[in-house]
This record gives sequence, C-alpha cells and structure tokens, in this order.
Amino acid sequence: MKVLAPFVLVLAALAMVYWDDAPRRADLVFVNRGDVFTLDPQRMSYLQDFRIAYALYEGLVRWNNHDMSIEPAATAGPPEISDDLLTYTFHIRPQARWSNGDPVTAHDFIYSWQRLLWPDTAADYSNLLFVIDGAEEFFRWRTDQLAAHALGQQSLDAQQLLDEAQSRFEQTVALKAVGERILQIKLRAPTPYFLDLLCFAVCYPVHRPTVEGWITSQTIKAAIQRDGWHSVDEPPWADRRWLKVDPITGRLEQKHQWARPGELVSNGPYLLSEWRYKRDLRMERNPLYHDQPRIRSDSVLMVSIEDTNTTVLAFESGQIDWLSDVNAEYMADMLQERLSYETRYSAAIASLTLKGKSIDQALASLPPPDVGAGERRNIHSFPTFGTDFYNFNCRPTLADGRPNPFASAAVRRAFVLSVDKNAIVRNATRLNEPIATTLIPRGSIPNYHGPAGLPHHPTRARAELASAGWIDRNNDGLIESESGQPFPIIDLLWTTNTPRYKWISLELKSQWERELGVRVELRGADTKFYKEDLKLGKYMIARARWYGDYGDPTTFLDINKTGDGNNDRGYSNPLFDAALAAAANEPDSGKRLRLLEDAERLLMEEEVPLLPICQLVQVYMYEPGHLRGLTTHPRLVQYLWQIEAEPPELR
Amino acid sequence: MSALILRRLIQMPIILLVIYTITFALAWLIPGNPLEKEGRQPPPEIVQAMKAQYNLDNPWNFYWDYLGKATGVSWLLGRHDRPFDLGPSLTHENWTVNEILGAGLPVSMTLGLLAILIACLVGLGAGIIGAIRPRSWLDASTLTIALVGISLPSFVVGAALLVVFAVWLRWFPIGGWGGVRYMILPAITLSLPFAAYIARLTRFGMIEQLCADYIRTARAKGVPEHRVVLKHALKNAFLPVLSYLGPACAAAMTGSFVVEKVFAVPGVGQHFVDAVLSKDLTLIMGVVLAYSSLLIIFNLIVDVLYGWIDPRIQPT
Repeated sequence: MKVLAPFVLVLAALAMVYWDDAPRRADLVFVNRGDVFTLDPQRMSYLQDFRIAYALYEGLVRWNNHDMSIEPAATAGPPEISDDLLTYTFHIRPQARWSNGDPVTAHDFIYSWQRLLWPDTAADYSNLLFVIDGAEEFFRWRTDQLAAHALGQQSLDAQQLLDEAQSRFEQTVALKAVGERILQIKLRAPTPYFLDLLCFAVCYPVHRPTVEGWITSQTIKAAIQRDGWHSVDEPPWADRRWLKVDPITGRLEQKHQWARPGELVSNGPYLLSEWRYKRDLRMERNPLYHDQPRIRSDSVLMVSIEDTNTTVLAFESGQIDWLSDVNAEYMADMLQERLSYETRYSAAIASLTLKGKSIDQALASLPPPDVGAGERRNIHSFPTFGTDFYNFNCRPTLADGRPNPFASAAVRRAFVLSVDKNAIVRNATRLNEPIATTLIPRGSIPNYHGPAGLPHHPTRARAELASAGWIDRNNDGLIESESGQPFPIIDLLWTTNTPRYKWISLELKSQWERELGVRVELRGADTKFYKEDLKLGKYMIARARWYGDYGDPTTFLDINKTGDGNNDRGYSNPLFDAALAAAANEPDSGKRLRLLEDAERLLMEEEVPLLPICQLVQVYMYEPGHLRGLTTHPRLVQYLWQIEAEPPELR
Repeated sequence: MSALILRRLIQMPIILLVIYTITFALAWLIPGNPLEKEGRQPPPEIVQAMKAQYNLDNPWNFYWDYLGKATGVSWLLGRHDRPFDLGPSLTHENWTVNEILGAGLPVSMTLGLLAILIACLVGLGAGIIGAIRPRSWLDASTLTIALVGISLPSFVVGAALLVVFAVWLRWFPIGGWGGVRYMILPAITLSLPFAAYIARLTRFGMIEQLCADYIRTARAKGVPEHRVVLKHALKNAFLPVLSYLGPACAAAMTGSFVVEKVFAVPGVGQHFVDAVLSKDLTLIMGVVLAYSSLLIIFNLIVDVLYGWIDPRIQPT
C-alpha cells in the first residue's frame, strides 16, 4: 500500500527521536502529588512543590521532622535570641555554598525575603513575614505606591518608584546583614513560632544572579564567587534576562524560565539535573553541599503520573519506591486488605513493637502477605496536620437576601451535636480517619491542649434547635419557626472532583433529616464553581478543609478572624478576634497557648462556625523495610534527602 | 492541484481567527481565574496586581495582545522580542506554552501515527478476511471483535492491558515515555476504535467490489486470487478508508486525553484538558491554535492524496 508509506516514514523518524529517551532509574523513585507547579520557593504554595524545595534549597534552620523541633541548617548553630525575644541573630556557616561555588551570605536571605515581601512577586505566603518589624508596613506601602502609580497619581517614573521602594525597604524592614554571614532580624512582637516559620520552604533563599538572569563578564563572575553578588554592582536592566520594570504598571516583572537544569543554582542537598513538563524531574547529589552524610540517596527521580489507578499499577509493577499520594477509588479496600494482614499477625506485631521495633520493621520481618486471600502490607495511612470540615454560612442573610438560619450559634450547635462522625468515617470515607471535634488536630502541636469540642448528642441538638425557636409545631416531622414558617431547605454544597464528599454529604443529609426534622438538598459542583459560590456566600453548608502551615494554633484559628481572606464562612465575632489579639500580645509562651486554647474553646464549643468531621489522612504506598526515612509526625514533612530505598535487585 | 493548495492556505488564517475568537470567548467564560489556588488565598490586592500583569482584568486587551504575540504581528511591528510567542503558562510559570507544545506535540503525534498504522494493518487485514469468507466463523469473529473495539471505552482497555502486560507479565513499563517499549500499549489502546472502524469499512467495500464485473473478468482471465483481492479489489475498496483516515489521523495525532492519562504519556491531549480545568488561558489558546493548524493541514494532505490514488477524483 503505497499510501501508507509516508506514515511509516514519518513514524520511523519520530520513533528514532524517542528511541533512547527512557528515564534512567534513580536510587529513589517516587510519585509526588501531581507535577510540581514552580521551583521558585517564594512563589510556592503546594505540598508537592515544597517537597522538592526542601531537597534543592536550604534555609537558615530546618525541622527535625520526627518531632518538629528546630535544628540549624545553613547556620552554624542555634540563633542568639535577645532577652526581650525580639532580636534574632543567625551565623551562617562558612562552608555554606551555592551549587556554582558562590558563598551563601546574609544578603541572600535578605534578598529572598524581600522578594517574598514585594507585592510584585504576588507570593501566597507574603504575610508569613509580617512578624518581622516593618514588613507589613512595607508591603502595604508598596501596594499603595503601585496603586497610586496605576491611577496616574505619581509624578515618578517606574525606575524612580523602584529606587524609592528599595531604600524604604532598607530603612523600615528590620533585616540587617551585620557581617557577610551574620543576619540580624528584629520582630515586631515576640513570636514563639518564628523559627518554625523560617523552616518553611518559602523562606528558603534563591540565588540572585540566577533568578534575575544576570549576564556578567568572567571577572565579575569571579568576584561574585569570591565575595558574593552583593560585592559587585547590579548589572543594567538590559543585562538581566528574567527581570524588568514595567513602565506602565511600575511593577517588577519576573519571568521564571531560570528553573532549568544547568541554569538553576541552589544551595540544598540536591541539584536539579532534569525536569520535563508533567513527565519527570530528576535530582542528583550536590557535591558542594556542606553536610554530605545527610544525603541518603545519590539520585532522586520524581515521575509524573496523574491517573490514580495507573499510579497504583506502576507501584505494583515495582517501578516506584514510594507512592506519596494514593487516591485510587479502591484505596479503602486496599486499607482493608492491610487490616486483614495485620489482624492475622496481630500478636506477632504487638510483641515486635514491644521490643522497640517500628511498625514498618515489624511488618517487614513477618512472612509475606497472602495476596490470594486479599492481604497486603504495602499501603499505609497517616493522620496529617489537616482537618476535614463543613462550613456553616454565618452571614446574617443568604446570598439571595433571605434570612440565614445558620447566623444563629444555637442552630449551628444543633447541627454539630446531631452528627455521628463515627458513622461517617465507617460508612462514607472508610480510611480509618480519627474523628475530629476541634479544628486543630489533636496532639499535633506540642504543649497545646485543645478543647473537647461538641459531642454526638442528638437530644441536646433538638433542645438547642428548640431554644432557637425551631420546633415541630404541626407534627409533620419537620420543624417550624414561631410564626409557622418551615426551616428553609438546606443548600448543602460539595465538590464533585472526588467521590469522598458525595458520600460524606449523603451521610450528613440522612443524619440531619432523621435527627432534626429538616430537609437537605445536595448540590455537587466542580471545584471552580464551588470556590466562586464559597467566596460569594452562595450556600448554607459547604465542605471545606484546612491544612496548617506552621506549628502554632494560629495557623488554624486565624481563618476564622473577621475579614480573613480564608474566612469563607463570613464568620465575625469581636470576642473571638479579641481573644486572638490578646494571645498575640502575650509575651509568655505558656500563657499565650492557654489563651489560644480558650479561643478555640469559644470557637468549637459555643460558636461552631464549622463542623469538624475528621483529621485528614495521607495514604502512602511503599514496601515496609525496603523504604526507610519517612516520618510519621502529623505534619508529615518528608525530606527526600533522608529517604532511601533498597536497590530493586536486593528485594 | 496547486490552486487547491493555494486556496486552502489562504483560507487557513481566516479559519484560525474564527477558531481563536470562539475558543477565547468560551475559555474566558470559565469561572474563576488561573492564578487562584486551592485552599489558601493571597490578599485581594495581590490577585488584582497579578491579573493586571497577565491582562486577565480585561478580555479585550488579552484577546489582542495574545493574538499579536502568537501570530508574530507584534514582533513585525517591533513591539515584542520574538514571533509566535504563546506566552508563559499561567499555572506552571517556569514553562512557556511554546516549550510545553514543543515537548508534547511530537509525543502525541508519534503515538497517534503508530496507532493509525496499527489500525490500518489490523483493520485492513480483518476487513479483507471477512470479505473473502463472508458469514464464516472467521468473518463473524472479526466483526464481533470490531464491535467490541468500538464499544469498549479506552480507559477500560488501557487499564486491562496495563494489568495483564505490565503488572502480571512485566513486558512493558507503566507510565512515562521513552523508547518503543513505552509506546506499544498506549498505541494499541488508541488504535482499537480506529481499527474496528477501518475493518468494517474495508469489509463492506471489499464485498461490494468482489461482486463487480471487472473482478469476474479478472478471475476469468486467470489472474491469481491473491492478486485479484489485493491488487484489483482492495484499491477501490480502500477509498472510503482513505477519506476516513484524514480526520482519524488528526484525531489520533492531536492526542487522546484518556489514553494519555491512563498511560501517563506526556502528550498535549492531557495538557489541554488540565489547562481547561485550571483555566490556564495562554495554554488553552496555544493548544487550540496548534491543534487547528494541524487539523487543517491533515485535511489538505488527505485531499491531495485522494487525487493521487484515484486520478478520476478532481478535488475542489
């Protein structure tokens, strides 16, 4: 067939291109939670991105991820903290180097944090640094400056605006390089979790000549290598490939095409050696990293597989050492298989763990599971630093102008008291999640003892409803107000991207209709529509979740502050705001935690703007004994450099 | 023939502009904005500033600005530093749309071509066998397989192939791309519906041709049977298949979302659906422009081939 000839020719040509293009096996192969969005630490906001940032970059300090205590990283020792707890002085270790040999200096951190603070960077986490004296003022000032410029109210041109902003930053934000390697930071108020914030990837440094794309001569390169980039003059704008000032908006415009193998200069345990869009990302040991023994695997390969079933199959075929986000619809059944295995060997596991073995070590030393009998031991579910909950719309009126019954705290309490969360976890979610009565996961923050929250108590729930005036007055099984108006049909909003929320919402509907005499209508929406409705308050009850960012109760409680950008509930209570403010002004860290406990008690026992369902779990797949170095602390910060996999030929 | 090609090439920009306009209108109407993220929200003034940078606050500006940069008009006018710039991806800022397409299109095209080739070989073979022995068990079974091939969704076939050949037998790797081993399972999955359709087209065409007078003449002259079937009958029976191949090629080569997803093939089909879901406007527009150009070119190629294989047909 001569007509097929051109097909064969073109195909052969294309096939040649891919003939030898298969990803090389690495010491550790894992599937992240989807592909990485960005390798720019200041622009990150997703877990999968942070995970790579912890491998490529290194901050001043880092967590010991097993107990979340703080240990030095790029610094030589713990910081000096002044007696008023406001001034922190860090000494950067002399061996700390960028991967091109440049020294890591205090200026690198000041530059990177300034980058995080510029509104021009549009970083999701700018406000983390607001604890530094002058930082919030600078952010607001620059925002106003740009807004005024956009309206034509400024006589200065963009470059002058920038110079003005630069000198203002230097004057007002309390970040100072005392010496090349000594960084001094002054806070606006004592912040017990400040070091915890610095462990967060967005505070990790970037290499200025790289992110700005400096085009420099060899002599200047040599000078930078000797003394750091701050010792040379900034190149003219024409010689910065990735940064320019927009003359119209006055904004600094950053391009991000510097995040490329060979171009990306980083200071962490690994170097970026390959990155292909939604395909794979490979990292190799950084030979200039100052703490070589810390790195357990010479190379790490992240493969991008998005289909939830395919990831499981890839793991089952032995190509993947660690599947970090199991989401297949049948994962509950796989967890059940693990349970059968554990049940069969429960006595042996108990005696091994008593002897001090970890659960993974215990499992690894047992006979392999009987796959035919539906057993497995390679799936693991860990509670995380996140809570699954349902929002109550707390605004006085609904989006369509009707009065909102959930504006009443008594009604909200009734809807919380009537829910049997154990039934939800048993029938709907089926991942063995610990049920939650508070917003902050229990035991996840040292020395913080949250309130009990509201129990499952249907009788009390009906009493609360009656106290708010909602009683079944005509014996039709449904409740009415004093004027005989029936309780509005409840608009329950959930997202359709996973079946999880359909099952939880159905369970809630049946429980509320049974216990309270109300009618619930389920409304499933795609994430985009859901988010829009959430922001506009177009719902009565809506699913939600929150993961904490740093090891302090405020990371959860703040989302209920009046006007907070993440307060989707429209909840506003001056008492609660005042309680948070009082805690913020309390210098004694113990007393401060007690104040926060009181604030959460007010929130979760009296006001309940949200209905906590359960602690979120993260499900991993790996062969116990073959993969080592994962932490199980609820914050689940996994450092890739401390994970090692047994080579496949040894299995 | 050259007049045809010329006319089509002149029509091309007009068609592309219409497609661009319609796609832009539809994409703009997707709720939300690409800079918005799951969970945590940056302060409103930041979102506003970001929207301004990418022209997301004004559809009119975005429409003309993107059109100028994508077509190279801005470059010709000296307002932009390079032609055919499809912009940075709004959700994956380290990548430009040109880079994403440059990496993804060859992958999708290779996979698509291989699938079409498999479909032709299998489909023609099955169709010819069925036509030579109509109503035999061989014919019945090829027809049944064809029916199954059309009806079974690719995510079922794909997952089944993965379980059998990759998990149990370990003949092929799962997920990814690189080397022929990675292409075979997805190409087979992608080829099934095409193969089934081609088999049916061939069978009916062949049965019709084999009853024609010129075939009886050829047989009477003592032409060997294999030459009768392959040389004389197939040539005419192939025409309907050929007209089907144009759109089929375009469909296969521009990437199948399902197949690419199931086999984790880094092709544009998957990128496009992800782009729509996250309202990544620059990526959506870039993929659509690349797709439609390809589609127009494939249709042109098929029309040219038509005239080449059967000179009686004068394409207009």
